[in-house]
Amino acid sequence: MERPLTVLQVALHHPTQGPAAFAKVPPKLQLDTSPLLLGRGQDAHLRLMVSRLSRQHLSLEPYREQGSSLLSFSLRVLSRQGCVWVNGLMLRFLEQVPLGAVNRVAFAGVQMAICIEWGISLEAFVCCVHLSPSPLIYRLKAEETDDHDEIPPQQQPPPGGSGEQTSGSLGFLQDPSPTQDSALQPSPGGGTEIQPRREPPEEALC
Amino acid sequence: MSSFEDADTEETLTCLQITLYHPDRLQAGRFQSLRFCHREKLPSHKVVNFGRHSSSCHYVFQDKQVSRIQFSLQLFRDFSSSVLSVEIKNMSQKTSLFVDNHELGYLNKVKLPPKCILRFGDYQCLVEKEDGESLTFFETQFAWSPTSLLEENLRPLRTPVPENGSHSTLGSTLPTEMDENEL
Repeated sequence: MERPLTVLQVALHHPTQGPAAFAKVPPKLQLDTSPLLLGRGQDAHLRLMVSRLSRQHLSLEPYREQGSSLLSFSLRVLSRQGCVWVNGLMLRFLEQVPLGAVNRVAFAGVQMAICIEWGISLEAFVCCVHLSPSPLIYRLKAEETDDHDEIPPQQQPPPGGSGEQTSGSLGFLQDPSPTQDSALQPSPGGGTEIQPRREPPEEALC
Repeated sequence: MSSFEDADTEETLTCLQITLYHPDRLQAGRFQSLRFCHREKLPSHKVVNFGRHSSSCHYVFQDKQVSRIQFSLQLFRDFSSSVLSVEIKNMSQKTSLFVDNHELGYLNKVKLPPKCILRFGDYQCLVEKEDGESLTFFETQFAWSPTSLLEENLRPLRTPVPENGSHSTLGSTLPTEMDENEL
């Protein structure tokens, strides 16, 4: 019996270039346990036609948390020039962060939402790409939350890096109302914590 | 002269010194694809795979007991740090990878300490990181050890030799654990 694969549901939006920026992005691709590369270069798995993008801009790397039977993912910045916002935290060259169940990522004018649907296979994973006509991110920076704020259950990463499947819907990412989730940052242990703020970049999207 | 004047300012590179040991190192070809005592410069964003599969791995071990990809090394930066760190991931489904005494299962990864011993199968690798200034490139350099690295590291500290050259009976005067009932 085939074991279900983990699926990365990726939504992409570019406010000015529109779908043309994503003309070469396949709607679905399957990878083994090597990192998924996103960039402008020909060797990128997700090849975006955005001039401000580096040839290899970022990677999504599958790995397994200690004690977990499911895949986790971390995002690593490969661009020396640009930076990448991940869930309100600005990352620069070679900085990396583990991803949670739902993630907002911004770079070089591109908005990207990544939703992880966990499968039990450790052999491979699938990336499904959707183009979004509307913005996915309304606020780049993390906002500090009150200790008593509750974490929406669908946005919690699985306990210890494993757990229930998410709904797979990316619709809630388009909600412009303030929510707590942009301040949430997955910790290496799979939990969530509030990251310290960083100074805003000179440009709205770096 | 102008090329010298126009060249980018030279930066020191982070270097990974990797000393290998295998009890059967003389078996033909085991390390033939590795260039010992040679520094190789690599881009720091590159994931460096070690294993048996020559098209997937940058460093190849000619050994059927080694997985096609045994483990991977990749460099990263801690937040706002100007120093490159190294992360190792076990890519083998069959063999555990030990970083010192920490066991990594399939796809588990961990940040390497500045000096550590990796073990998988009969292989032992002493990895020592020398920090450099460059964030763009790093270097690797391989050496091999004729003796087990574990024995080297687990060997108890040698008895100090006093300046007059004569050995003391320090060994016999070291405190030993006793059960309370022995008193």
